[in-house]
Amino acid sequence: MSENWVLTETEAVELLALLISSARIQMDEPAHYGPLRLLTATERLSAMMLERSSDKSKAFLQDSIERIPEMHMAMSDVETYKDGLDHLCREVAGCLLRHSGAESASP
Amino acid sequence: MSEHVLNNIRTRRVVREMTDEAVEREAVETILEAARWAPTGGNLRPIRYVVVEDPETRRLIRLVAPGMFQKAPVLILICINWAIIEQHKLPHTDRTSLIDVGGAAQTMMLAAHAIGLASGPVTSFSKEAIKVILNLPGSYSPEMFICIGHKAEVARAGMRGWKKITWRDLTHWERFDNE
Repeated sequence: MSENWVLTETEAVELLALLISSARIQMDEPAHYGPLRLLTATERLSAMMLERSSDKSKAFLQDSIERIPEMHMAMSDVETYKDGLDHLCREVAGCLLRHSGAESASP
Repeated sequence: MSEHVLNNIRTRRVVREMTDEAVEREAVETILEAARWAPTGGNLRPIRYVVVEDPETRRLIRLVAPGMFQKAPVLILICINWAIIEQHKLPHTDRTSLIDVGGAAQTMMLAAHAIGLASGPVTSFSKEAIKVILNLPGSYSPEMFICIGHKAEVARAGMRGWKKITWRDLTHWERFDNE
């Protein structure tokens, strides 16, 4: 693998702890908290990898992920929340294209 | 004087973003002393508190507490000591101690607000992981964290309320009609 590692083993285990704990507490919480917990894990992963990430990811991590706390404010407005998540999906898709090299190859 | 108390109740808010500024030990003790006056069912006093100030322990707790957005300098864990419930021959289905947890939590948050500190409750954590991290005695059940600290200038907003409510929306007077 030629790419740089962006997480240490300890950081990866910390993220595992958060995801596993989220899975357990979700059994006792309202279903609509599911996206909240996944986005919380997303925020923490982003914070862990930001410093070591390449330019292909950095803008996405800084601009898109850092807006997640604002999205939580709209949880009670389901359509706005969905729009925010759709926007994030488009942004992450763009990030995927940058990593795959497909973006530069497209006409 | 009573207006002062009511104002304290009305102006307390759940705070989800805190600064790194330390909280004096004396302030923590004031909050814990206030909790000692919270009501307790049957005067059983099954509630126990675990205070966590150590930065590394707080960091580990946050990793198994997805609902803990705060990076608070002080965490107070409210536990039920089930050994006390059992001593009184009460079943584990008895809910009185859970009501005690709520009374203790609100008392501590009001006390924190009264001395100029921010607070926020957190119940979204893995109880089993917390038992391991804090090496809790077997009879202790961790129920709720109260995060204590100083409110950040730019605070993370709470989940927007579903609608504006007044006490009248929450209250019914006298018997319900059959309609």
